[in-house]
Order: sequence, then structure tokens, then C-alpha cells
Amino acid sequence: MSHDGHHSVVIPAPGPEFVPHTVAHHFDTPVQEFQSAKLGFWLFLATEILLFGGLFAAYFYYHDLYPETFRVGGQQLDWKLGAVNTSVLLLSSWTMAMGVRSAQTSQKQKTMLFCALTVLGAVIFMVIKFFEYKAKTEHGLFVFPHMFDNYQVDGSSNAGSLAWFTDVHNVMVDETGAPLLHGHLFFAIYVTMTAIHGLHVIIGAGLILWIMKGVAKGRFHAGYYLPVDLVGLYWHLVDLIWIFLFPLLYLVP
Amino acid sequence: MTTHAPILDTQKAKSEQPKNYLNCSSGFWSWAGTLDHKRIGIMYLIGTGLAFLAGGLFALLVRLHLWEPNGMLFTNDQYNEIFTLHGAFMVFLFVIPAIPGSLGNMILPLMLGAKDVALPRLNLLSFYLWVMGAVLAALAIVLGGFDTGWTFYAPYSLYTNKAVVTIGLGIFLLGFSSIFTGLNFIVTTHKLRAPGLTWFRMPLFVWALYATALLQVLATPVLGITVLLVAFERLYHIGIFDPRLGGDPVLFEHFFWFYSHPAVYIMVLPAFGIISELVSVHSRKPLFGYKLIAFSSLAIAIISFLVWGHHMFTSGQSTYAMFAFSFLTFFVAIPTAIKEFSWVATIWKGSIALNSPMLYTLAFLIIFAIGGLTGVILGALNVDLHLHDTYFVVAHFHYVMMGSIALAFFAGLHHWWPKMFGVMYNETLAKIACVTIFVGFNVTFLPQFEMGSQGMPRRYATYVPEFQPYHSASTVGAIILGSGVALMVSYLVASLFIGKKAMQNQWGGVTLDWLTPTPPPLENFAHAPKVTTEVYDYSTLDLKSTQTPIG
Amino acid sequence: MGHHHVSSSAMFTNVLIVLLILTAVTVIASRIDFGPANMLIAMLIASVKASLVILFFMHMKWDTAINKIVFLSSFLFLSLLFIFTLADQATRRIDHPMHATKAKVSKEWAYPKPAMSEKH
Repeated sequence: MSHDGHHSVVIPAPGPEFVPHTVAHHFDTPVQEFQSAKLGFWLFLATEILLFGGLFAAYFYYHDLYPETFRVGGQQLDWKLGAVNTSVLLLSSWTMAMGVRSAQTSQKQKTMLFCALTVLGAVIFMVIKFFEYKAKTEHGLFVFPHMFDNYQVDGSSNAGSLAWFTDVHNVMVDETGAPLLHGHLFFAIYVTMTAIHGLHVIIGAGLILWIMKGVAKGRFHAGYYLPVDLVGLYWHLVDLIWIFLFPLLYLVP
Repeated sequence: MTTHAPILDTQKAKSEQPKNYLNCSSGFWSWAGTLDHKRIGIMYLIGTGLAFLAGGLFALLVRLHLWEPNGMLFTNDQYNEIFTLHGAFMVFLFVIPAIPGSLGNMILPLMLGAKDVALPRLNLLSFYLWVMGAVLAALAIVLGGFDTGWTFYAPYSLYTNKAVVTIGLGIFLLGFSSIFTGLNFIVTTHKLRAPGLTWFRMPLFVWALYATALLQVLATPVLGITVLLVAFERLYHIGIFDPRLGGDPVLFEHFFWFYSHPAVYIMVLPAFGIISELVSVHSRKPLFGYKLIAFSSLAIAIISFLVWGHHMFTSGQSTYAMFAFSFLTFFVAIPTAIKEFSWVATIWKGSIALNSPMLYTLAFLIIFAIGGLTGVILGALNVDLHLHDTYFVVAHFHYVMMGSIALAFFAGLHHWWPKMFGVMYNETLAKIACVTIFVGFNVTFLPQFEMGSQGMPRRYATYVPEFQPYHSASTVGAIILGSGVALMVSYLVASLFIGKKAMQNQWGGVTLDWLTPTPPPLENFAHAPKVTTEVYDYSTLDLKSTQTPIG
Repeated sequence: MGHHHVSSSAMFTNVLIVLLILTAVTVIASRIDFGPANMLIAMLIASVKASLVILFFMHMKWDTAINKIVFLSSFLFLSLLFIFTLADQATRRIDHPMHATKAKVSKEWAYPKPAMSEKH
């Protein structure tokens, strides 16, 4: 224990199906621990905003530079699948918020249920994503499976040949049929943004599964629900990013 | 929670020695798995110190090569790799992490009257991210090195057949190390201040670290995404920065400098904080313009986000963007000047002690004046068009990075050495080393201003013979500088084994860090301090503590 | 323990319904061409949705001032990145006429390898 005789603070369990929580020794009160963790997590979310923000900056930059490419590129994406995915994430945000609320009110079963539903939402989202990526790959607009193929540079024409952009159905053309300038760029940005977002969906689902383990052990209740709260915030961030990704990538007039 | 190893028989003789954070437990895992901010600070000190020495070695190789106009040691390609390693090691492994990681970790919780930082496990993670970044940097050397310059500009960084992805990943991890340290310091400052310690009773080192932390959190993520995008370009050819694929290399520069300009303030603000503390303690006088200095740190942090384009004046930005960036750059000089004047005014008519920390501080004040003013010169668009990519720029940033930041780090190291280790180094050798470093530094870099303005380009492995006198002088200076640093490292390390016992309060400081036992116990304070006096109130100083050795 | 605001289920459900409605609005609005305002309108609707998620699902309406400032300032500083890079790009065409034109190229020039379509 600590040298000055200061004993750690323990938050008692509100019922037999829960366990008590010991406040970390360098904090004086549970409130200090709660507020410190929350502030730290909001700071972390701020860094995520800036990380993704860089990608959005690149999107706006090239959208301005190559408007036709981005218009036609956006039309290649299935907006209906995108809308379904948006709704799935919004619903999963609702289930997550309900899950945090259940932890706050010491309802163990409900917390488990809402967390499980949130993970289900994540799975549905990734499955839809998989089918989207598969379709684009078949149309030759896309990165996989030639991602690592050799990249040749034709010195004379100063243009590069991209192994992965084959545009099988010749969709990235303007009204005269001439190929759009740098048609691959829209899809490169699309893949980068949605793949990094998808990675965050998977991480979020993993975090929620970890929370569910803790819920089962009775660690989270009205006296201490901090980890559920923080993972919830992370999940809402994942939803937030998609709220902006969906119209930018999928919806073109 | 930290665990304490049982007292061994061999330690019985020292059992009268009070328990402090150094001897309270032993063994590899008590350090490698520690959650104590002071031990983490020591580990950062060793790590970043080694990185500094490695970076310094690369620098000496650069300067030796440039002794002759045709290059004395390397081929041109090898030279490109050597100066890149010098820059990358110094910037990413030393200048950015050293002061917050070592002195910041050690001193910030003490100054706030806290038992530790708010998130100790995150703190340890920050350190291990640093270690992994360092390992990847070393690995990158083994895997072929990199020759892009520390700024790894596109498109060259996209094509060069080197270990760019490896070092990029290393930088990504180092970035998160920095982010998490900043995050930790912000939360600690907000939530863990002792009762009575209001914001305007906090020492200025804390204000400096706080402003630094804001930059670490807000700017570094953009470096992260930039590095990721370069890696994606190299691996999958997405075309975002590659002009052959429709990308814009200038966009890379925008992304890179959006971080890297605030980064130079991440580097320098902690140094300013150290100087603020030292001018007060070693003149035994309260800071002149305490609130001005505190607010100027915040002002510098905010303005630093508005000026990054001044690194890109010859890259092909629009003229209008350049006008804006140049105009805004001048504003950052104002809060910086406020600090410099306030420090001098603090020393004025103080009871000045010309000990080694103070000598380093005085050296800083002179060198930083030159470094800062030459920055303003470079901020002028029309002048920079001629000086960009010349040795004038090299001299400017070495005056601020080496002459100011590193010197402030040395100053802080000497100032807090007795507190950290309970021993004193040899003061005579310290003064000799300080003078040697000051002379060596100026001999190295002062000629570079002149040859830069005469047109000597930077990052060139060879040069025309008319510049040889400048280069030779610079190389001689580098050797002097290196000797001074070597001397400094020697007596500091020696003091750990044969140093005299330090005083309880070696210099007579009155901030909370000087009121803990020396060295501090694991929990920092026997009883949680209650702060009732204003900061830098030397009337509260117990002079006996400055004359009573510990132990 | 400090007061912790517990939201009502009904509040969460109402917010969800509004979010789903706004998603439909976004899709419908994208079918109409507002010209240069297209992007702006899409982003405005997205911002409203984002605000709802932040204020209610993420509980920011009842959170401390510092947490609000921290999160919102990230958007503020991000906007600096947007503004300066886009402004640079947009004003380059004032300097150099070549930035104002977007030349069309043939597919062979852009992607010089055997094409899979018989169109060319």
C-alpha cells in the first residue's frame, strides 16, 4: 500500500451479481478517476478526428482538382448499400447508447444484450462492405487482388501504368467516351478512407466484446461503468466518421 | 500498482538511507514494468540521450565529409543517407520526445503536488512506443537506410529504393508516443493539481508543457496519416502524392508541414519552460511577467498552426497563399519576444548565481536571440525565396534546435540532476563543458549563416572551393562542440558513482518539486501538499535546506 | 460519486428516429442538383446528424466544459488544414493559366497496357 497511510477508495458493488471497484492509488476520489479518464478519452477522440480529417482534406482537394472524375466515380458506388450501412451504424449507435445506459442503471442482462446487438451491427456493416469491395474488384476499378503488382513507369510518356485499375466496363469516361483524368484516384481515395474506417469498426467491435466479458463478470454497474462509457464513445466516433463519409463518397447529384 | 522487492542482505548497510524511487525496488522488471513517472523519466533520459549521441555521431560524419569540397568520406548517395539519419534521429528520437519524456515526466507531477501522472499505464505505453520507434529506425538502417532527408518529400520518397516504409512505421509509432504523453500531461494538469494550486500558481514549466501537450495532441495525428499515405503510395500506388498518377506533391508538403511547423514548437516550448524556471531560481527572483509568459506559450501554440506554408515558399503554392503565410509568420515572433524580454528582466537586479545551470541559461538567451531573429528573416517571403534550401536555413534551425533547445535541455538536466539522483556533478568540469559547448556551437554554425547567404545550398555532398573556409571552420567547431558534449556526458555519468551528496534543496527553489525529499520517494509527497502561497515567492525559502546535504 | 446524468430510453429513441429521417433527407437532396451548393448542403445535413450523435448519444450536452472544448477544438484546427490547402489549390489558377485547364487524355496514354475493352 502507499506510504502515507492513505488507503485506496473502493466503490462497493450494488448487488451480488456485481463486484466492487478499487480506485487507482494515485487518485484521491472516484470522481477524479472518472473525470481524468473521460478527459483523456475525449482528447484521444480529438486525435482520431484529426487523423481522419487529413483524409477528408485530401478528398476535398482532389474533388476540386478533378470534379468530373469524382462525379462519375461516385456514380459507380451503390448508394442503396451505402444508405443501408449508414442506417445500420446509426442503429448500432442507438444500441450502444442504450447499453451504456443499462450499465449506468446496473442492468446486467440488458447491458449484455445491447452490446451484443451493437457487435451484430458491426458484423452486418463489414459484410456489406465486403460485397461492395468484391463488386468493385470485379469491375476492375479496385485495388485487390493486384495490389502489390509491379508498377511500371513509361519514361517517354511520363505516365504510369497501374496494375490494379483495369476499368473492365470502361465506366470512368466522360460524355464523349474519352477516359476521365486519373480515374483511379477516386477509387484509391475511396478504398483508403473506407478501409481505415473499416479497421476502426473492427477495433470497435473487439473493444465491445472485451466489455461484454467484463459485463459477464459483473465489473460494471451504477458505481463504475467508466469502460463501457469510453468504448461507447469510441463506437459513436466510428458512426460519426461514416456520417460524413456516406454523402461525400456515395451521393452525387 | 508498483510492487516492492524485499530488502536484500546486501542492502542492509544502506538501510539507514531513506527509501526513494531509485532504491525502493530493484530488478529488471521493477524498471521495465514500472508505473512510476520518475522511473519512466529516467528511462526516457537514457533512451533519448543515446539517440542524441547517435545523431551527434552522424553529424560529426557529415561535418568531416564536408571538410573537403569534393567530399572526404562518402559517395554522394551515402552522404544523402548520413545527413538523413542525422536529421531523423535528432528530430524524431531526441528533440521532440526528450524534454517532455524525461524532465517533463520527472518534474511535472512533482510541481503539481501529485502522486503520479493521471494515466500511468498510458505513460509506460508512451515509453514503449518510443522504444519501438527507435528499434524500427535502427532496423531501417539495416534494411538499406533512407536518403530522403528527414522531411521525406514526395515524389522522391515514393520512388527511392530504400527502407522508407520501415522508418515511416517507426515515425508513426513515435507520433503516438508523443500524442499519448501530451494527452497525459493535459489530463494531469487539469485534474491532479494539489489543493490551493490554481492555474496561476503553477510553475511556468508546467504551463510550457501544457501548451506543448496541446500541440502534441492536435498536430501529430496529421503526421500519422501523412506517413500512412506515403506507405500506401509506396505499397499500393494509390496516386495521392505521385504526380504521374494525378497526385500533388505539394499536398504532401501541406500535410507534412501542418504537423512539422507546430512540431518545432513542441520542441521549443518545453525548453522555454526550463529557462523560465532557471532564470527565476538562479536569480532568486520571481519571474517578470509571469502571466505574460504563461499566455505567450498558449499564443505561440495557436499561432503555430497558421504559418506552416513558410516552409514551402519555393514549392509551387499560389502567391496568395504565400502572402498569407508570410504575413502570419511575423506574428509568432511577438509572444516569443515577450518571453525573451521577460527572462532578461527577471535576471536584472536579481541575486545571480553563476553556477552551471545558469551558465547554460545565459548561453541560451544569447543563442536563442540569434536563432529566433533569423527565423523572422526567413519568414519574409521575398528574402526566403533566395535563402530557402541554403545553409542560412541550416544555421537558423541549428541555432534554435541545438543551440537553444539542446542547451536548455542540458541546463534543465544540470538543474534537476541533484533532485533526480541525490548527487552533485563536478561543478568546475560543468563550467568548462558549458563554455566549450558554447564556443564550439558558435564556431560551427555562425559561418553557415554567411555561406548560406552567399548561396551555399544545403544537403549537398560537395561544394565549390570558395566555400571551403566556412566549411572547415564549421567542422572544427563541430569537433569542439562534440568534445564539450563528451565531457558533459562523462562527468554526469561519473557523478552517479562518485558524486558528492546533493543538498536537500540544491539551488533554493520554492516550487513543489524542491519541497519533496531529495531524491523523491515513490509516492512523491509524505503528505499531500496544500498550496497557500503564490508561485516563486522566495520569502518562503528555508535557507537551511540549501545548505543541508541529504542522507 | 458526483452526479451522472442518465438519459431516458425515449430520448435515445427519438434521436435515432430523427437521424434516420435525416439520412433519408440526405439521399433525397442528392437527387436534386443545387449546382455549386451541392457539397455544402450535404455537409450541412451531415453536420446536423453529427451534432445529434455528439450531443445526445455521446452525452456531450451534459458533459464538462473542458471535454466540450477539447472535442470541438479538433474540428476547429482541422478546418485550418482544409482552408489553407483548398485556398492554395483554388488560387493557383490565378497565377498560372495551366492550372485552370483540365486536358483530356486518351486511355492509351493514361494507362498504357493492353486494355480489356474493345472500345478502343
